[in-house]
Amino acid sequence: MQKRVFLTLIVILLLIVGLLPVLSMVAKSLTVDGHLSFSAYEGVLASSHQWVLMGHSMVLSSIVTVLTVAVGVPLGILFGKTDFLLRRFFIFLFVIPLLIPPYISAVSWFDLLGTGGLLAPITSPRFTETVSRLLFGLPGCVLVLFSAFLSIPMVLTMVFLKSVNPRLEEAGRLVSGWRGVLKSITIPLILPGILLSAMLVFLLSFGEFGVPNFLRYDVFPVESFTQFSAFYNFKAATAAAVPLAVLTLAILAVEFWFLRDRGTGLSLAHEAAKAQPVRLGRYRTLMLMWVSLLAFLLVVLPLIVLLIQSAGFESYGEALNRAGDSLLRSLLYAAAGATVLTLLGFFTGYLIQTKAVCFWRSVDFMTIFLFALPGTVIGIGLVSLWNHQWANFIYATPLIIILGYLARYTALTSRISATYLAQIPSSMEEAAQIAGASWFRRMALIVAPLAKRSLFASWIVGYIFSLRDTGITMLVYPAGHDTLPVRIFTLMANGSPGLIAALCILMIAVTIVPAGILWMISNPVSKKEAI
Amino acid sequence: MMKKTVFFLLIVCFVVAGILLFRPSKATVKEKAKEQTVVVYVSEDQVFSEPILKDFERETGIRVKAVYDTEEAKSTGSMNRLIAEKNNPQADVYWANEPIRAEVLRQKGVSSPYTSPNAGDIPVMFKDKDGYWTGFSARARVFVVNKKVKEKPESINAYTNPRWKGRSVITNPLFGTTTSEVAALFTMWGNEKGKAFMNALKLNGVAISTNNGESADFVAAGQYDFSLVDSDDAVNRIRQGKEIVMVYPDQGKDGIGCFIVPNATVLIKGAQHPKVAKRLIDYLLSKETERKLAFADCAQIPLHPGVKLPPELKPIGEIRVMQVNYSEVAAKMVEIQPFLKGWMGL
Repeated sequence: MQKRVFLTLIVILLLIVGLLPVLSMVAKSLTVDGHLSFSAYEGVLASSHQWVLMGHSMVLSSIVTVLTVAVGVPLGILFGKTDFLLRRFFIFLFVIPLLIPPYISAVSWFDLLGTGGLLAPITSPRFTETVSRLLFGLPGCVLVLFSAFLSIPMVLTMVFLKSVNPRLEEAGRLVSGWRGVLKSITIPLILPGILLSAMLVFLLSFGEFGVPNFLRYDVFPVESFTQFSAFYNFKAATAAAVPLAVLTLAILAVEFWFLRDRGTGLSLAHEAAKAQPVRLGRYRTLMLMWVSLLAFLLVVLPLIVLLIQSAGFESYGEALNRAGDSLLRSLLYAAAGATVLTLLGFFTGYLIQTKAVCFWRSVDFMTIFLFALPGTVIGIGLVSLWNHQWANFIYATPLIIILGYLARYTALTSRISATYLAQIPSSMEEAAQIAGASWFRRMALIVAPLAKRSLFASWIVGYIFSLRDTGITMLVYPAGHDTLPVRIFTLMANGSPGLIAALCILMIAVTIVPAGILWMISNPVSKKEAI
Repeated sequence: MMKKTVFFLLIVCFVVAGILLFRPSKATVKEKAKEQTVVVYVSEDQVFSEPILKDFERETGIRVKAVYDTEEAKSTGSMNRLIAEKNNPQADVYWANEPIRAEVLRQKGVSSPYTSPNAGDIPVMFKDKDGYWTGFSARARVFVVNKKVKEKPESINAYTNPRWKGRSVITNPLFGTTTSEVAALFTMWGNEKGKAFMNALKLNGVAISTNNGESADFVAAGQYDFSLVDSDDAVNRIRQGKEIVMVYPDQGKDGIGCFIVPNATVLIKGAQHPKVAKRLIDYLLSKETERKLAFADCAQIPLHPGVKLPPELKPIGEIRVMQVNYSEVAAKMVEIQPFLKGWMGL
């Protein structure tokens, strides 16, 4: 009873925070002068161009998803399963592009590869011309989004590898080499994690507007954005975003189809920790070279652009002077957002994993749909819903930003928790129940400690995504409460490139340091492993 | 043990920072102090507007809380918020970077009339007759031309001249000052000629950029020969030493003139701090603010007579100005947007 009531309250909270603002927008989009009307939808959906844009978005997202998974999963296996050298260093390196808003990465790539870019003086004009032409279009979008999201499948693969029951792999090793074990046992076992990462990358790429807009590749979210920005037509903008609900359903159906009848071979982390790493032997140096090359091309090169532009203490001094307060606020809001996201995600994940209420599938759909929606729709929805005199204690304070984070990113922490919770045998909770422990005691003393690693992972993911958010924050932050990414964007218009680059470097630092500390706390490294 | 201590310290740090940042300031508690705060939404670039607002704070002791626009959102985030917040306005003043947005707000019932005593000698063309907005410190729509180009374009019609086929770039006409200028051309020429011009532009292989700064960067990089941009984008890059020159278009005897885009102040209807809002508007419309904005990197042209100028700028009286009514331009903009959307292939 306790369980049902509490989890239902969690769902109601999610409804109020996330779905209600969007529903209020949808309701407005369905009315004209108080009467039901589909005119906003007819205008948007009847246009054949919309379907062309939908095609563009599908192509872009599919290529980015396939590439990130194809490269990210092997990288994750390399870092999480083998005795690869300097893996912690490379993990941090590959995560860096995820910490910067992709639009800034796109500008950075342009500064590097454009006809007047840093590479131009040392390459032939023909080469520069060709590269620049490729940058502006689908290939450029793929490059930027691939480098930005590569770390998602990489990290999730590593996280899931830690939970693979080593006994299954050891049994496999009796009849096969590591290649066969990875192919037939390990990868099938971590498939839910790979699918989760593919889904996240697909949705993030699909919803991305800044990069394709900058690199001249028209995508589906352009209509919603244009209706907001050029026409101030909130109804049409909402109508243009609604097809994303169908897309979310399709993605969940694909995931369901892949995972049907699949049992779990994942186990609690402490058992998995006993697994022996794969020895790379003579391939160790070769692998190191390949990974170094990849890291140099995808991460170091654009980072060099930022570092060159931010060269000199003056830029950093000015950056701290102009955005020091925003930096502090960013840290705080992201930490607060991550904490609430972790809690909400934990209970939502539990609800989905244990199918504790009959509408658990709807809850999963709702969180993923909110994640797929453009930030502008949720942002304007939050304004419409909360901007009232009686709600000024929310709307006129940073609480509205936290609500925005909850609305948008609960899907991430919820899915992470659900997948982790699947590894905890239900018998443990049942035994405590038989012994008379209440549901809250079971959650606090059994489930939460066993899912400690998922709580850490959720917090880090929630922190990173809250910190880099601009879509919602930009529309709802109260005057005088802007965050660092918003400040970077507002200063980008005619601000000095040195200042912007210095702010980006600061942003990378403030994201990596707290997330890194927590990562180290949750993943203690032995001396041997550290080498 | 060590892990727990670090973790505990982290939590303590966040909690302390949280208390410091989330705590209600004394100013929000006392009504008197509340009146000493003004909330302004700003579309003008933050790098240029923030110093002016800081000066206002310093000189008057009134605290300014600002929401700035972002380049990524095409400087329309503030507009969307103002419209969405209409029933419970959070802003007192809107500092628009062009009068067309101020006109849209008037049409949507978001603004309130106010005639500032400092607006007396601003030319009538640059202010609303009922006081719903007042212009100041203007940008001119100018050409930036790469220095390597020998024969410089002198008229907006250069965009349709085969001599520059595939060599010019223009910012997406669905957004910002480019929309305003296209709407102004439609107002001057009529719809038929306006549409013919836009179609000829497309046939001449004009590239589309996402914002004026980007257009100027493309030209500076030699990717294109010229582009129509705002004068602040041009001056800013010239001061950075980029390889471009600035040309005021259509300055000949029979030329249609250069389109001028003033900033505009708007008093928000139902503003929570109307007295200080009016003080801020008066401050923005002062000659001193215009002088500062002229000498800043945005190099904006003062509309008050007799304000000192940097050498790169021409006084407004020496520029052949496109004679348009901004209210008509705003109406035309709404009318032609479906055409522009189709023109963009959307």
